[in-house]
Amino acid sequence: MKKHLKLTDISKDGDEQLDEINIDELVPLPPPYDKGEELPGIKQLTDDQRERLVCNLDGVVSYAALPKPANKEEEEKYVGQFIAGLKKLLSKENNWTFLQPLLLSIDYCARCQTCNDACPVYLASGEKDFYRPTYRSEIFRRIINKYIKPAGKLRAKLGGGDIELNWATISRLYELSYRCNLCRRCAQSCPMGVDNALITRELRKLFSQEFGWAPKELHEKGTVLQLEVGSPTGLRPNVAIDNLKFLDEEFTESTGIRVETPWDKEGADVLLIHSAGDIISFPESVIAFTILCNAAGVNWTLSSEVGGYDGVNYGLFYDDVQLAKVAVRHVQIARKLRVKKIVMGECGHEHKALITVADRLLTGDLIIPRESVMTFLEDIVFSGKIKFDPTKNNFPVTLHDPCNVVRNLGIVEPQRRILRYLCPQFREMTPHGVDNYCCGGGGGLSVMSDVNFTDWKVNVSGRMKFKQILEAFADRLGPEVGKYVCAPCLNCKLQLRDLFKYYGAREKSGIIYGGLAELIVNAMVEIKKPFINWEEEQ
Amino acid sequence: MAKMQLAGVMLEVDEHGFMQETEKWNEDIARAYGAKEGINELTEDHWKAINYLRSYYLANGICPMIRRLIKETGFTLKKLYDLFPEGPANSACKWSGVPKATGCV
Repeated sequence: MKKHLKLTDISKDGDEQLDEINIDELVPLPPPYDKGEELPGIKQLTDDQRERLVCNLDGVVSYAALPKPANKEEEEKYVGQFIAGLKKLLSKENNWTFLQPLLLSIDYCARCQTCNDACPVYLASGEKDFYRPTYRSEIFRRIINKYIKPAGKLRAKLGGGDIELNWATISRLYELSYRCNLCRRCAQSCPMGVDNALITRELRKLFSQEFGWAPKELHEKGTVLQLEVGSPTGLRPNVAIDNLKFLDEEFTESTGIRVETPWDKEGADVLLIHSAGDIISFPESVIAFTILCNAAGVNWTLSSEVGGYDGVNYGLFYDDVQLAKVAVRHVQIARKLRVKKIVMGECGHEHKALITVADRLLTGDLIIPRESVMTFLEDIVFSGKIKFDPTKNNFPVTLHDPCNVVRNLGIVEPQRRILRYLCPQFREMTPHGVDNYCCGGGGGLSVMSDVNFTDWKVNVSGRMKFKQILEAFADRLGPEVGKYVCAPCLNCKLQLRDLFKYYGAREKSGIIYGGLAELIVNAMVEIKKPFINWEEEQ
Repeated sequence: MAKMQLAGVMLEVDEHGFMQETEKWNEDIARAYGAKEGINELTEDHWKAINYLRSYYLANGICPMIRRLIKETGFTLKKLYDLFPEGPANSACKWSGVPKATGCV
């Protein structure tokens, strides 16, 4: 039975779970995925976990280390911190990065609720009130009105809908800020241009910068580890080089052509920055780039400086300081190598961080051209330097649009021109391009896996994406036909890995996923054996 | 922080049962992890994978790529899943006492 939540419910009964997710209320999937009861669903927390962890929102916990206040004084301390954080978000001295869009988004919401129907999380969940983009934003807005504006408390009392800022509100807002993919489909649909994803991200920033609360995968084992050892994966420079050397040898043997990845080449035209997770989990992607760059005669290099071989920047998801530190590191490495430009690998948030968000930081001696992998690959494919045989890709292919590359940067067509040329059975999903659905792992969620959070991602946030993938292949959904979802973004691939594993998409429907570069190499005349591996579990 | 008793030792673990203090690991702990997942006896093949994973982690601060694990042990991926029910990342690494891999992997 659907429960209707009021905005004011967020402050009530701090230890009680506000609502729960029912598998049979979620948006239905087409057969053979329509029997939700055959799947494990969302793991119930154990009694021990309920005792130890904060779980007062939806029965899902994304951050086991969220502290509970020991007493009333501690709760009051948190309330004071929240108000102090809000004041900083609203002042130009402390929030020069996002103050203007934040103020506009706070002031201009017309409460029309148009954005709700654009949100894949809200839709997939069976329209759970607390997942509405406006639920969290309106609470945030009312807290500002009440606690920051002059005579706010009095006006809140008279106007009704008075939100009490207490432990329940704070802890639930924390978790709610990680039930959004920051995909900005809501912002795109808003007639006023209000950006609810930005408000979500400002909330995360407040929690990180004021409280020190952020998912351990994003902070402690994320940006902190990246700045210290080189990558959130823990991959150190010497291990990165050693792994690539191993892969160069392996693929030289399996492809029959010489594969050699260049490192630290000063004065190269292009510094290519992959996500290091690709080296470890999707090495065929990294090697595909080596093959393509070498075959096209590109003067390029990778960097083995700490941070230079991993383009991820999790700061984009939760913290301006960490965002700036990582972005500046990337650019300094490129400047030191005296390359002509940086090319960002198949990683959506690397694109957004380095092309747009960090742009205001990158002035003076930090100016360097940054190019998307999509146009870079398009130039290679249409350079005439590599011979292709598109019949080698004669299987159904669909394209997933990474939100940060497509909706948020408007890079829509280069990857499509490649696929139309090289994949005879390319078909679009509905909707696609700037209207795409997020994979469900956006906004940093794809690397978060604490407690039962992965269960939420595969059941709720990734549901609309999985549904539209199945619909794109509806004409040949059986497992006898191999089908490829091209997802040119590491975070998206990780989310698709979890989704496909959970639903058994490979076994039931023959669907695999991978990047764009692998598809291009697969169509090369010079590569004799199929480059894409259909059998091995990824 | 969650705690779990394995082979008579109280261990700090994450919410998925991965050890947080890798130096406390011993072979009995590996056996106890295996038993929890229904593998009551660890064979020579199990030890080959566990010993490689652990020594690689201690030397490099990260678990090896699956491809390396396959090459070093000579096992196919299917064989690794037969040996370790939840696969190399979720079972083999856990039984080897190394932390859960994070960071876009």
